[in-house]
Amino acid sequence: MHLAQLRLRDFRNYQRLDLRFGSGFHLLLGNNAQGKTNVLESVYLLATLRSFRGVGPAQMIRHGSPGFFVGAEVVGHHGCLIRYYWSMKERRLSVDQEPVRRLSDYLGLVRAVVFCTEDLQLIKGSPRFRRRFMDLLLAQTEPAYLHALQQYVKVLRSRNALLKAPRWDQATLEAYTHSLLNYGNQIMEARYRLVPKLLPLAQQAYRRISGDDEGLECAYAPAVREDFQQELARLASRERQFKTTLLGPHRDELQWSLKGRSVSEFGSEGQKRSVVIAMKMAQAELLTQHAGTPPILLIDDVMGELDQKRRSGLLPLLDRSHHAGGQVFMTCTEENWPRELGRRLNRWIVREGTVNPSSPH
Amino acid sequence: MPALPLTLIELKAALNRLPGIGPRSAERMALHLVQGPKEVIKQLTDCMQKASERVQICHICGGLTEEQPCQICDSPGREPGLICVVVKPTDILSLEKTGSYAGHYHVLGGHISPLNGVGPEDLNIAALEKRLDQSEVQELILALGSDVEGDATSYYLAQRLGRQGLKITKIAQGLPAGSDLDFADELTLNRALQGRIALDHEG
Ligand SMILES: Nc1ncnc2c1ncn2[C@@H]1O[C@H](COP(=O)(O)OP(=O)(O)OP(=O)(O)O)[C@@H](O)[C@H]1O
Ligand SMILES: [Mg+2]
Ligand SMILES: [Zn+2]
Repeated sequence: MHLAQLRLRDFRNYQRLDLRFGSGFHLLLGNNAQGKTNVLESVYLLATLRSFRGVGPAQMIRHGSPGFFVGAEVVGHHGCLIRYYWSMKERRLSVDQEPVRRLSDYLGLVRAVVFCTEDLQLIKGSPRFRRRFMDLLLAQTEPAYLHALQQYVKVLRSRNALLKAPRWDQATLEAYTHSLLNYGNQIMEARYRLVPKLLPLAQQAYRRISGDDEGLECAYAPAVREDFQQELARLASRERQFKTTLLGPHRDELQWSLKGRSVSEFGSEGQKRSVVIAMKMAQAELLTQHAGTPPILLIDDVMGELDQKRRSGLLPLLDRSHHAGGQVFMTCTEENWPRELGRRLNRWIVREGTVNPSSPH
Repeated sequence: MPALPLTLIELKAALNRLPGIGPRSAERMALHLVQGPKEVIKQLTDCMQKASERVQICHICGGLTEEQPCQICDSPGREPGLICVVVKPTDILSLEKTGSYAGHYHVLGGHISPLNGVGPEDLNIAALEKRLDQSEVQELILALGSDVEGDATSYYLAQRLGRQGLKITKIAQGLPAGSDLDFADELTLNRALQGRIALDHEG
C-alpha cells in the first residue's frame, strides 16, 4: 500500500500542497522549521485521525484559516480516495465521496507507523503511553477491539459519574459494573494475546539495533490479577470513598525490561532509545504480517540521533518495506542524512511550506 | 442599521427555541411569516393549538395518542402477552413500520444516564412494573439501543423486572453498534426483532 497523491490545504505551514509520488523511499530534506515533520504528520493523520505530536486537530489548522483539508489517493489492496476536512464547526471525512459513518470502517485504510522523538515517551512516559501503544496496534489488527475499547471508555465515564453523584442506587451501579466487566475482559484478553506476538519481533529488532542480545523482555501487567469481578467487588467501599473506578484495563501496564531490570528505571539513554525503536519496528512488522503488506513508515529525525550501528539495524526494515512495494518517508536536514541509504532514493526539498523534487547528484 | 421590531425579535426568539432551528433560520422564518398572507399564520396557529390540545400521552404505554388509551393499547387484535419497551414515543412508529410486530409497547422516556443525572426513578418504570403485575405478560422485549446506556438500562430492567414465567429478551443483532432506533432502517429493525437474545435474571 502507498499514497500516490497527497493534498494539503491550510494544514500547518502549508497553504496549498499537491504532491504525487510512487512507492519506495522518499527523503524530505530541508532546514529546520520548513515543514518536513508537518508532511509526516498529515500522513499519520490520515492513518489514525490523530497527530503523533499529541495535539488536537485545532493546532494543525494553518494560523488564521478556518479549517484544514487533507486528501490522499491510496493505492493498493483497498485503493481509495480520502478527503478529510476539519474546522471548529465542521468535520467531514469521506472515502470515495462517501461520508464515513463509523470510525471502525475507516481505520485500517491507511496504515502507518511513525518513528519520532516523541516516541521516547513510550518508555519514559506514564503507563498511558504504553496502553495507547497496545490499543493502536490492537485496533489495527483485531476487528472487534476498537468497539470494545470505545464502549469501555464510555462505561467508565458513566460509572465514574455515578460514583461521584451525591446519591445513586446499587442496582444502577451493578448495571454499569456488568458492562464494565464485559468490555474490560474483552480488552484484557486481547492484550494478553498481543504480547506473545509482539515480544519475539521486538527482541529480534532489538538484537539488530543494539548488536547484542541484552535479554529484552516485555510483560503485560494488567491491574486485574485474576478475576475482575471479584477483585472489583472487594474494592466497593474504597470506590465509594474515592468516587472513581479503581480497577480495570484503564490501569494496565506494559513493562519492558533488559536482563530483568526495568528499562524506564535502569536503562541508559541509548538503551531506552533502542528499545523504543524496537517497539516501533515490532509494530511495523506485526502490521505487515497482519495485512500482508507493510505499513507506510514515517521516520522523523531519528536517523540523525542514532549512531551508525543503531542506524544500520533499521536498514533491513526499510529494505523490506521497499521490496514489498511499501512506502517510506524520512525527514533529514541536509547535513545528517544517512548516505548509506544511497541507492533508489527520491529526494524532496522542503522550504517554507513548499516541497519540490530534487534531482540526484 | 435599524433593529427588527420588538415583536419580530420575540417571534424569532420563540422559533429559535425549537429543535433544529438556529438563529438564522429562525429569523428567516419570522420574516417570512409576518410578510406572508395572514391565512398562513391562522392555519399554523390553529394546527398548533389543535395538536397541543388533542395529542396526549397514553396512560398505559406512554405513546402519543388522541384518545385514552391509544389505538395500540386498545386493539383486541394485538398479542396481549408481549410488550416491547422503547425509549421514546417515536420509536413505536419505527417498529410499527416494520409491520412484523403485533404486541404492545411501553415507553420508558429515556435511558439510565449517570452522565446526564438520569436515574431509574426518573423513568417510566413503576408503571411498567404495574402492567406486569396486572396482566399476563409472557415476554418483554427490550429495544433500547445497543450503546452503553441502552445496554446498562436493559441489564437494570432485566434484574428489576425479572420474575417467574416472564421471558426477557433484547433486540441487538443487526442493529448498528451505538445507534438508536431512528437510524435503523426497517429491514435492520426487522432482522433485529427476529434475532432477539434472552437476558438472564434471577427469579
Ligand atoms: N498551525 C500552524 N500554522 C502555520 N504554521 C505552522 C503551524 N504549526 C506549525 N507551523 C510552522 O511550521 C513550521 C514547522 O514545521 P515542521 O515542524 O514541519 O518543521 P521541520 O521542517 O520538521 O523542522 P525541524 O527540522 O526543526 O524538525 C514552523 O515554521 C512553524 O511555525
Ligand atoms: Mg521536524
Ligand atoms: Zn397506549
